[in-house]
Amino acid sequence: MSRNLIILTFTAIVLMLFQVLILKYFVLFGIGFCFLYLMFLLFLPLEIGFASAMVIGLIAGLIVDLFYNTLGIHAFACVLIMFLRPYWMKWSKPRSGYEINDLPMITNYGLSWFVIYALPLIFIHSLTVFLIESGGNQLMGLSVLKSVVTTLISLVFMIAIQYLFYSKAKR
Amino acid sequence: MGQLFSFLYKYRAFFTFLTLELLCIWMIVRNNNYQRVVYFSAASGFVGNINERTNNISDYFSLKKVNSDLAEENAMLRTLLLRTTGTPIDSLKAFNIDTDTTDAVQYRLIAAEIVDNSIRLSHNFFKINKGSKDGIKTGMGVISQKGVVGKIRTVSENYSSGISLLNSRNQVSAKLKNSNRTATIQWDGDGRNPRIAKLLYITREDDVNVGDTVVTSSFNAVYPKDIMIGTVASVKPDQNQRDLEIEVALSVDFGTLAYVYVIENIYKEEEDSISLNNPIDFNE
Repeated sequence: MSRNLIILTFTAIVLMLFQVLILKYFVLFGIGFCFLYLMFLLFLPLEIGFASAMVIGLIAGLIVDLFYNTLGIHAFACVLIMFLRPYWMKWSKPRSGYEINDLPMITNYGLSWFVIYALPLIFIHSLTVFLIESGGNQLMGLSVLKSVVTTLISLVFMIAIQYLFYSKAKR
Repeated sequence: MGQLFSFLYKYRAFFTFLTLELLCIWMIVRNNNYQRVVYFSAASGFVGNINERTNNISDYFSLKKVNSDLAEENAMLRTLLLRTTGTPIDSLKAFNIDTDTTDAVQYRLIAAEIVDNSIRLSHNFFKINKGSKDGIKTGMGVISQKGVVGKIRTVSENYSSGISLLNSRNQVSAKLKNSNRTATIQWDGDGRNPRIAKLLYITREDDVNVGDTVVTSSFNAVYPKDIMIGTVASVKPDQNQRDLEIEVALSVDFGTLAYVYVIENIYKEEEDSISLNNPIDFNE
C-alpha cells in the first residue's frame, strides 16, 4: 500500500508540473490538447471512496485552471469524471475482478482493459471542458472534434508513459 | 426525519458531487468573463421577455391614463402648430422664420416603452423595449412628455437599460428658467422620495422662489436645452451657510412612467470630441 502511495504522490506531482509548465503550450493544429494530468486521477484506487476522490479531482482541476486561466472549468470536468468513475469501473470490471492493492493501470490489468476504462472518462472530461469553454451549443461540432482529438492524444501519451516509466510491481 | 437522513446518506455521493459542481459553476461564472456574459445575457433576454409579457397585460389597466397623456401632448403640439404655420396675410410677416435651424435638425426622437422600472432603491434603473436594432446607443438621453427620465446605460439587441434620474449617481446639468443660473440636479438616494430631487450649487445670493421652473441646461450633449425637470418645492440655506438647499418636485411621475422618447443627438460625437480635446475637465 505504501508503495502505491509513493507512486501516486510522485505521479501527481510530476504530471501536474508537466501539465502546467509544458503541455499547456502543446496544441496540435489548434484542436488537439493533451490533458495528461488525468492519468493521475485515473490511477486512484477504487477503494478511496466517492467523496475523497471528488475532492482530489476538484483540487487537481483547480490547479490546472489557475494556470490555464479558466478557473472552475477543469475542476467541473474533473469532479464529473471522478463521480462517474466508480460506476464505470464496476461496469468495466476485468474478468478476474479488482485486486485490493493494485492501482488501475496497464501493468496490473493490461492494455485493452485500460483503454476501455480510460477512453470514455477522458472523452467526457474533454467534452465538458470544451463545451463549457465555448459557452453554449453553437460551436458543438468544433467542441466534439476537439474532444475526440484531445482524447486520442491524451490516451496515446498515457499508454506510452506507462510502458516507459512504470514497471510491474514486485510482490 | 429519519427517512430524510437515510435518504441523504444513501445518496451522499451524489450530493457531494452536486455541491462540488455548484462550487465549480460559481467559480466559472465569477471568474470567466466570457462565460459570465453568455450566461447573463441569456438570462437577461429571458428576464426581459417575461417583463415585457407582464407589462403587456398591465398596459391595459393604464390605457386610460396613457390616452389622456397622449391627448394632452397632441393638444400641445397642435397649439405649437397653430402658432407657427398660420399663413401670413400681412406681407411684413412673410419672411419671419421662427425655427432655430441648428436646433431643428440636431435631435431625433425614438419612441419606446418602459418594460421595467424601479423607484424604491437608492440606485434606480429602468429598461425599455428598444435596443441596438432600433439605433439606441449608450449615453443617449431619455425623456417623457413630462420631462427628463434618465440616460441609456447598456444596450442589447432588443432591450436597453437606463440609469434613471432617481439614481444618486446620475447628475444632470440644469438651470433655473427665470435667472438662467446653471446648477446640478441630483437625486438624494437616502431621501428615498421618488418625487423630490436636490438642486445643488446655487449660492445664497441668488433669488430662488418656490414654484420656479427647473429645466435642462445646454451644457451637455445628452439632452436638448429647456427640457422640463421640475419646479422648486422648497428653499432654505444649507448647514454651511454657503449654498442654498433647494428641493425640486420632479415633473415626471416615475411610478406611472409608461412611454418615453430616447433622444439621439446627431452632433453628440462632434460635441463630445470638442470637450475631450479641451484641457478643462468637462462634466456632462
